[in-house]
Amino acid sequence: MLKLSALKTTALAAAMLMSSAAYAEETVVWWDFLGGGDGVRMKQMISDFNEAHKGEITIDATTLEWGVPFYTKVQTAVPVGEAPDIMTYHASRIPLAVDQNLLSEITAEDWSKMGLSESDYAPSTWDAVTVDGKQYAVPLDTHPIVLYYNKELLEKAGRLNDDGTPMGMDSREGFTETLNALKESAEVKFPLASVTADGNFMFRTVYSLMGQQDGELMTDGEFLAGDNAQKLQNALAVLAEWTNEGLQSTYTDYPATVALFTSGEAAMMINGVWEVPTMTDLHKDGKLFEWGAVELPVIFDHPSTYADSHAFAIPAGDMTQEKRDAVLEVMSWISKNSLFWATAGHIPAYGPVTESAEYKTMEPNATYSPLTQNMIFDPKSTLAGIAGPIFDVMSTYFVPTLNGEMDPAEAVKEIKVELNDL
Amino acid sequence: MIRDAKKEWLIAFVLLTPFLAVYGLIFVYPTIDMFLLSFTDAPLIGDGDYVGLENYTRLAHDRRFDTAIWNTAYFVALSVVPGTAVALAIALGVSRLSGRMQALILALFFLPYILPVSVVYRLWDWTMNFQFGIAMHVFDMLGIKRVPVFKTTTWFMPAVAFITIWWTCGFNILLFLAGLRAIPQEVYEAAALDNAGRWTTFRKVTWPLLWPITALNLTIQLILQMKIFDQVYLFSIGGRPNDNLVMVYYIFQRAFQSNHGGRAAAIAVVLFVIVVVVSVLNFQLTRFSGSGRR
Repeated sequence: MLKLSALKTTALAAAMLMSSAAYAEETVVWWDFLGGGDGVRMKQMISDFNEAHKGEITIDATTLEWGVPFYTKVQTAVPVGEAPDIMTYHASRIPLAVDQNLLSEITAEDWSKMGLSESDYAPSTWDAVTVDGKQYAVPLDTHPIVLYYNKELLEKAGRLNDDGTPMGMDSREGFTETLNALKESAEVKFPLASVTADGNFMFRTVYSLMGQQDGELMTDGEFLAGDNAQKLQNALAVLAEWTNEGLQSTYTDYPATVALFTSGEAAMMINGVWEVPTMTDLHKDGKLFEWGAVELPVIFDHPSTYADSHAFAIPAGDMTQEKRDAVLEVMSWISKNSLFWATAGHIPAYGPVTESAEYKTMEPNATYSPLTQNMIFDPKSTLAGIAGPIFDVMSTYFVPTLNGEMDPAEAVKEIKVELNDL
Repeated sequence: MIRDAKKEWLIAFVLLTPFLAVYGLIFVYPTIDMFLLSFTDAPLIGDGDYVGLENYTRLAHDRRFDTAIWNTAYFVALSVVPGTAVALAIALGVSRLSGRMQALILALFFLPYILPVSVVYRLWDWTMNFQFGIAMHVFDMLGIKRVPVFKTTTWFMPAVAFITIWWTCGFNILLFLAGLRAIPQEVYEAAALDNAGRWTTFRKVTWPLLWPITALNLTIQLILQMKIFDQVYLFSIGGRPNDNLVMVYYIFQRAFQSNHGGRAAAIAVVLFVIVVVVSVLNFQLTRFSGSGRR
């Protein structure tokens, strides 16, 4: 009798323990690298999530330094079991991460638990998180570069269309004419602000221009094979010409580029969509001119824009099923509520959001979002991606070339040697 | 009292154990591991297969390795002797002052030394910013053409060396001041009685008596500057990283960017050997020249 009751008590205690485990609040440790205007919006989404999941799931978020610091930390933290439960990741970095066994595969079961599927995403975005037929991350957005422009200055130079877009967006001659008109109007220091001091950044523009000629950086593991070297040279030559003609700012780093544009010293700027919140906020406070953002001009054969994708990844390692379910819920909820993320400028990856009527009225997002059909991503290589070796090689030769110190042909020759030497 | 040699040995051993354990764990073991790693094709984390000397032989025609070696040597040339000379000059000046004035001036020279490298980077990056930097406005006023200091290979190393000297010379000044104070006043009095001028006093008294400190400074600087990384890395962000490579930067690139643990270890071994050889040579040279003077 005594024994039986003891057994009962134990069973009861065990049952209670189990049920309490099932209902215990899960804390999801979150790492991201979103430090700018988009970071503020992500913090808002996290607190909305926590509010909606009170008593069930809490996100414990930390924002780390973007780029090299983030990725070096991740690749050392994961193998020693100190990784977070969820982290933001650039799609371009996924091939290297998979090679280093840093990421846990998002299985078919996971996708169905999240209520998300391949058909919710653009093919290029889905492909960007796929390695050897397996998915390793849940895409949150795509963030291409766009052309920002100052409507007032363009109008003064007589290069603004009636619908408020810049003239000459369909050809090299047309766009150069717009730049020249701006230069002659003498209202600005530079017609175009470009991040010419940062070759990493310029990679996005140069790669877009290569894409406009159907150029490939990597063909079957070989860099700049065939006439791709010539296409890179063409792309660099255009940009170098703008510099030599005084149409583009020289040796300008990232913050200076934004400052040149927002202060009206430059009439146009090529930058990422993540600067949209900066413009929106400044404009709201009455501190900014009338502005707009459009897809990059077609300098060569057809439209093409470089994009990367912010995605959510689960670090490799042991995780309880409860924890994993909580993480999946986080990814699912944020994806489905990513309309707010669009206010950060990014184009939400989750299709139903971008197809919604609300999204279609958002400006300037609606103006540039058709470019998703012309997006190109980094080559799928362990050498590619933010803060990767390809970026460093490019940067080293882009900076002198785009500032008129080096001949494009020479730069391409050197780049090819160094890339194939990696 | 009868000494128990065995017991003394035991006590010594017990007292030394904590140090030896920590030293072995965090210095000797990783160093040995680094040598072993350099013969494998290991990634950053995890094991690799034995590849013999391949990681070393490929360095012979590795362009980035060449750049790193030359840049490191260039940086050492630009920073070690000039840095020590500047510190000596400032120390000589400061030692002529006295009381509060001396403390104040010394504090001013020492101030940059307490700054973390990230702050140093921000300060100078803003000062030298090509579009908005204060220095560029000064250039404009003087009618000099603006210089994109950290974006051209011509100016990069000299500028980083200059900033490094500005940043770190406070510590060397302190060492020199301590050295100057240790020179007995009587020697100077004797020199004055012999009608020695300032230059002669410096050449015949201060310089030789200060030599041990100078040698120490040179050695510290030499070892430190061969391991240069932080400043070069920070100032290269977005610029021309592969043109500005130094040894430790290249190790970082290989290990953390390219995930080549084995190849990174091989470069680390080369740097290790260079530092050891150069330090020993430097020590012998300074000792030899020092004893020759006295």
